[in-house]
Amino acid sequence: MISLSHGKLAVLALASLMSFAAFAAPQKPERVRFNRDIRPLLSDNCFACHGPDKNKRVANLRLDQPNKSIVPGDILGSELVRRINQPEGDRLQMPPSYSHKALTAAQKRLLMRWIGEGAKYEGHWAWQALLPSLPPPLPPDNGREGSQKTSGVDAFIRARLAKERLAPAPVADKATLIRRVSLDLTGLPPTQEQVTAFVANTRPDAYEKLVDALLASAAYGERMAVPWLDLVRYADTVGYHGDQNMNAWAYRDWVIEAFNTNMPFDRFTREQLAGDLLPNPTPSQLTATCFNRLNMVTREGGAQPKEYLHKYATDRVRTVGMAWMGMTTGCAECHDHKYDPFTQRDFYALAAYFADVKQWGVYADYGYTPNPDLRGVNNDYPFFPEITVESKYLKAQIAQKQREIETLAAPLLVSQSWLGELNAYVQANSDGWESDERVVLTGNKAADAVREFSPKVRQLASVRLELLPVEKSLFRKGVRSETVNLSLAILGKDGKTRPVAIRHAAASAFEPIYRNSFAVLGVHRGWKLADTQAGSSQAAVYRLEKPIILAEGESLRATLPNCDLACFRLSTSPLVPRDPDGLTLPDKALTPRDYLLATASDADLFAKARGLEAEIINSRSGRTPVMVTERAKTPLIMRVVPRGNWQDETAPVANPATPRFLTSPSQPSSPGRSFVAGKGGSQRADSSPFPKEERLPGRGVGERSTRLELANWLMDKNNPLTARVFVNRLWKHFFGVGLSASVEDVGGQGEPPSHPELLDWLARDFQKDWNIKRVVKQLVLSGTYRQSSKSSALQRSRDPQNRLLASQNPRRLEAEFVRDNALAIAGLLNKSLGGPPAKPYQPAGYYAPLQFPDRDYASDTNGSQWRRGVYMHWQRTFLHPMLASFDAPNRDEPSCTRTQANTPQQALTLLNDPEFVEAARVLAASLKGKTDDAKLLEIYQRALARSPKPQEKASLLAFLAKVRTEYAARPDDATKLLAIGLAPTPTGNAPELAAWTSVCRVVLNLHETITRY
Amino acid sequence: MFDEQEFVRSVNRRTFLKQSAYGVGGLALGALLGREAQAQSSPAWRGAGGRIKRVIHLCMAGGPSHLETFDWKPKLRELHGQPFPASFTKGQQLAQLQNTVLKAFGPQHEFVRYGKSGLELSSALPMIGSLADEICVVKSMVTEQINHDTAHAFMNSGSILKSRPSMGSWVLYGLGATTQNLPGFIVLTSQGRGGAQPVSARQWSSGFLPSKFQGVQLQTRGDAVHFVGSPEGVCQSTQRLVVEEIARLNGMLAAEKTDPEIATRIAQYELAFKMQASVPELTEMGNETQATLDLYGVKKPGDGTFASNCLLARRLAERGVRFIQLYHRGWDHHGGVKNAITQAAVECDRASWALITDLKQRGMLDDTLIIWGGEFGRTPMGQGDGRDHHINAFSIFMAGGGIKGGTTYGNTDELGYKSVENVVSVHDLHATMLHLFGIDHERFSIKFQGLDAKLSGVEPARVVKDILA
Repeated sequence: MISLSHGKLAVLALASLMSFAAFAAPQKPERVRFNRDIRPLLSDNCFACHGPDKNKRVANLRLDQPNKSIVPGDILGSELVRRINQPEGDRLQMPPSYSHKALTAAQKRLLMRWIGEGAKYEGHWAWQALLPSLPPPLPPDNGREGSQKTSGVDAFIRARLAKERLAPAPVADKATLIRRVSLDLTGLPPTQEQVTAFVANTRPDAYEKLVDALLASAAYGERMAVPWLDLVRYADTVGYHGDQNMNAWAYRDWVIEAFNTNMPFDRFTREQLAGDLLPNPTPSQLTATCFNRLNMVTREGGAQPKEYLHKYATDRVRTVGMAWMGMTTGCAECHDHKYDPFTQRDFYALAAYFADVKQWGVYADYGYTPNPDLRGVNNDYPFFPEITVESKYLKAQIAQKQREIETLAAPLLVSQSWLGELNAYVQANSDGWESDERVVLTGNKAADAVREFSPKVRQLASVRLELLPVEKSLFRKGVRSETVNLSLAILGKDGKTRPVAIRHAAASAFEPIYRNSFAVLGVHRGWKLADTQAGSSQAAVYRLEKPIILAEGESLRATLPNCDLACFRLSTSPLVPRDPDGLTLPDKALTPRDYLLATASDADLFAKARGLEAEIINSRSGRTPVMVTERAKTPLIMRVVPRGNWQDETAPVANPATPRFLTSPSQPSSPGRSFVAGKGGSQRADSSPFPKEERLPGRGVGERSTRLELANWLMDKNNPLTARVFVNRLWKHFFGVGLSASVEDVGGQGEPPSHPELLDWLARDFQKDWNIKRVVKQLVLSGTYRQSSKSSALQRSRDPQNRLLASQNPRRLEAEFVRDNALAIAGLLNKSLGGPPAKPYQPAGYYAPLQFPDRDYASDTNGSQWRRGVYMHWQRTFLHPMLASFDAPNRDEPSCTRTQANTPQQALTLLNDPEFVEAARVLAASLKGKTDDAKLLEIYQRALARSPKPQEKASLLAFLAKVRTEYAARPDDATKLLAIGLAPTPTGNAPELAAWTSVCRVVLNLHETITRY
Repeated sequence: MFDEQEFVRSVNRRTFLKQSAYGVGGLALGALLGREAQAQSSPAWRGAGGRIKRVIHLCMAGGPSHLETFDWKPKLRELHGQPFPASFTKGQQLAQLQNTVLKAFGPQHEFVRYGKSGLELSSALPMIGSLADEICVVKSMVTEQINHDTAHAFMNSGSILKSRPSMGSWVLYGLGATTQNLPGFIVLTSQGRGGAQPVSARQWSSGFLPSKFQGVQLQTRGDAVHFVGSPEGVCQSTQRLVVEEIARLNGMLAAEKTDPEIATRIAQYELAFKMQASVPELTEMGNETQATLDLYGVKKPGDGTFASNCLLARRLAERGVRFIQLYHRGWDHHGGVKNAITQAAVECDRASWALITDLKQRGMLDDTLIIWGGEFGRTPMGQGDGRDHHINAFSIFMAGGGIKGGTTYGNTDELGYKSVENVVSVHDLHATMLHLFGIDHERFSIKFQGLDAKLSGVEPARVVKDILA
């Protein structure tokens, strides 16, 4: 039974452990290798009791390193062999029946063979130093490649294919290729023109030029950001309980820009983890530190701050663990990792790095959990600390809307008499304001203040309220804060009043009033001032809903209810400031725009201008709040709490330190430098990737290691994990599966890479300069990437999972890109870069189960409706149904693998979601072709970058005939269909357009349309 | 002795699962591979014959007070207004009662004996009381999470980690559903007049399982299932033409490509089209008799009340839905617990009774498991005239297939503070539920991120055999 040189057995044994070798042709039996063959088997079946977790270890036996049960070279003398061969149910049988684990006959033979060959242990592949490998020579059959050059990537892949006697697939046709690489690099399909040009371009560097153009496009950053946002669990809401909004989108834009500007990955890492610790951090670097604030947080009444701070801390470890180390660390919250040498102490030592990130366990000041830092904070408040930063998107919006107002007003003829009057007016009132007298308020309690003012110039567009100090304060004695609520009315001769509506007010200073985490725009619904702002004069300018003219005998009445002010003064003006958030009036060179806004001479244009101004106001002067990392004065104390019991106050304190099994040079505070299990026991302890002695200069005794040092440790060239993990995920991005398929776990329970030398070669290359675009380019230029995704029967039988990559892998688009793709095909896509969360159509009432505060969803009524998926409002508890149906994660937890379901909900979404119906009708209305054939061709080229096949064309034409009949019989239905969505309803023959809309619906629903081949 | 080919095939099968994008390995092959593979021998987790076909979980969201519903504590009444003995509370977790003086707060409703079994239950729930001989009250529940959101997540997924599948997803993954044209796991929510707390779609998430196993929430506004209605201006015959044309073209693609996803896609469109008819047929309750509406206390079918949802739950059960969850958001009674319980009872008592009664008269109760209860209990200490969240003790009741009616199980201490006798954890509840489905909870695991994840958790959990008939 235990004869081991049997060729057939050897092949089988190998097959059992390497899926990709399951078809290996029997040649010479290859040596059994611990990492490839034995470790996964032991990890699955034995490590739970005989592995790294010392608390669960049985019989003081650990099989992840040399041990007493294994005698190298002596099969029959090894206790392990005796135990695994005990009959079923025997007391001594291993693994025991109660473990519900069992070894197959082949696995047993393999173990025995390994012992027979000397039982050589290897350190776990992922923690080993990167091997300096060179690409093997290209096999001779590489002529299939055509004129395209091959790369190092291909050398590794082809060598392996040759060994398995498989041939690479031919290069994909050019149309397929441009669609593939466009979708992979930008998440958008190529335009019809791009396809035509690329197909016609026969220059040898055509493909490379295309790739360069795609890498240089802004859409590249939007595409590449998505997997990173999954990893760091970026969302627009806090996730727990009331799931309130949080201000993080400036960080999302930072990520997109980082990819677009090709920020080196080491800088990308440092700025996110520790941008606040860099010398003189810029607003951009501080925005990056929002990363440390993206964990779910709570404001639930009765939540225990300490419990939630514990949750936040563990959440950060899991995120850093997955994003940079490719490891699942979550289990070490409660106990030493069962399969990896990552200890509970490592877990809390990693958490301790973030103990200085200022954050509160419960974001409110409840009676039962008082929190003086958050006095007055209620469910409408944002999540501090925040800073305000500039947004390029918002700035661009303002500039554009200002231009639009100018353009709108340009054709107006400015009345000369108006200009004349204004000139005289400005002569008399140099700053543009005609002022009333000061009103001094006396009395010792709050009272309503009413003032009437009858200005000389009777046409009014703006009103100014100045607050003036008396005895160094704007407020009545003893008052610390005040909210001014000005209301205006026209007081008639008859003593009756007519209210005057205000559309916006800007102020020189104010305290924000929050609603649903955002500061309310303008001060006209309440001008809140604090003590600190009351030392000097303040002013607010109120823009009237529309200009008014006071008739003879009428005056303007201002009411300040329940007023605690000391003194104020009113002014009026026939002009309005050009900047809705400014206080200054235009003083010279009045333009048609000033005329329009001051006089509303053309009611229609005035209404439009007012709408544009509302959008400018919405852009918050081009600035947005963003949560950032601020250092707490005293870091939280992290303890290695047994079983994650956050109430334990006696457990040993953990100071910031990197995991011991990957001991780093920058860790003088890390006690001991043992190179433990990860290094394969004692055998290779001296081959640690890190130099032995190196200290951080300038740290005093007892000083904590910082987040910046953690970042440096992650990016240390001697740390083999970071680069491996990153390029492995990039590989998955472009080939569908990672070189190690378990991108989320490169630890002992993960899968060893199919091409370890290639992975190391890529990782070392990446480490050279952390240049992401360069690595991406290298991957997509490879012949392996450019292969057809069509597999041969031989290949499928030998390598059913295509891990050897004898062809490309087709892949369904991810949620955001299913949407982007449809919008782009229709020509509806809004390509603006960055900006606040977009709110496309969403079924009404979806947020009904949300409270604190109650939520409703108002979908965008402007061009934001058609923004890219990456910008969609990410509500953690109720993710947009379209995103959820297409497997986007709600981003509660870090993730780097999206499931790929195929469900009826997806079908319902593509069929009936107004987003997709609108895309279909807009596509139909935009077709330029004159004949049915030409139109079909255009639809196919835009959606699929190809022409319809004769069979497809015939089928669609027959379908078209049927829907034409349907809609000709029911023109009302056609009109209804063409009215779906915000896009302008097309003019023309409604039944005909509805029929073509139906054709477009079919094409937008095709499996091919949502798949990249 | 050893079938080499079969061995290689099995390896390929295993590695396929292990390597598939979602990292789901192992056991519930049927759920992943479709009918084809279901024909193979039963999976390792298949335990002794299942007793039930479905679960209806009536989740009293907010955390009903066990002290006013199922757990009679005369001693607490005696102590009303007195300082709560520190020996009970020292070092224990509190929610909104943090930093306050703790006082005993006596039960606010009378308890009476019901049925032949003489179960002692609250007078506030007379209709449920009248079912005393059908139900088993578990008085010794405990949980680990003291806030609503996390406690619901723990009740559903058995884990404090996020991204874990909910129990409905687990069951659907293991067993599939018998309905061909409705989702197999459906959630309904209703809101009471008081005591409402938000509830997240996370509670019916499929976590790391593919989204086909996630719970589908039926909406009361607009389409009951998102996008189940055809667009305006597209009549059924046109929609049919569109779906057929998609299938035809997808079929041409399938003939050309070697991509099994295409065949699945075609099937999903067919199912989607069926759902377009079956969902309205489900929610259109016009064919229910007035007698039935009266039984449930439904005033307007489909109005989103708990009563209407209970009626809908029966219709879902009839149609083969595997896991049905009703959340009634109205049981978070920090203040005025006496009247609040009365109000919540108005909303839930009759409808809960009616559902059980209706299932019974239709012969469906025997293969249905009803679980009635919240995410945690409430403190025997007062919070003013209400009660705070409490994790050391709470009560639920179960009824239906395999449950021993007219019984109680477990006990709390004399003040209802702590479960002390036959303590039942959330994991025990999950283990018991799976057992009733014929699933061995210890073997029902999924490889996720290198671990064997189980609904019943890492620590030993037990099937509560004593409550089974």
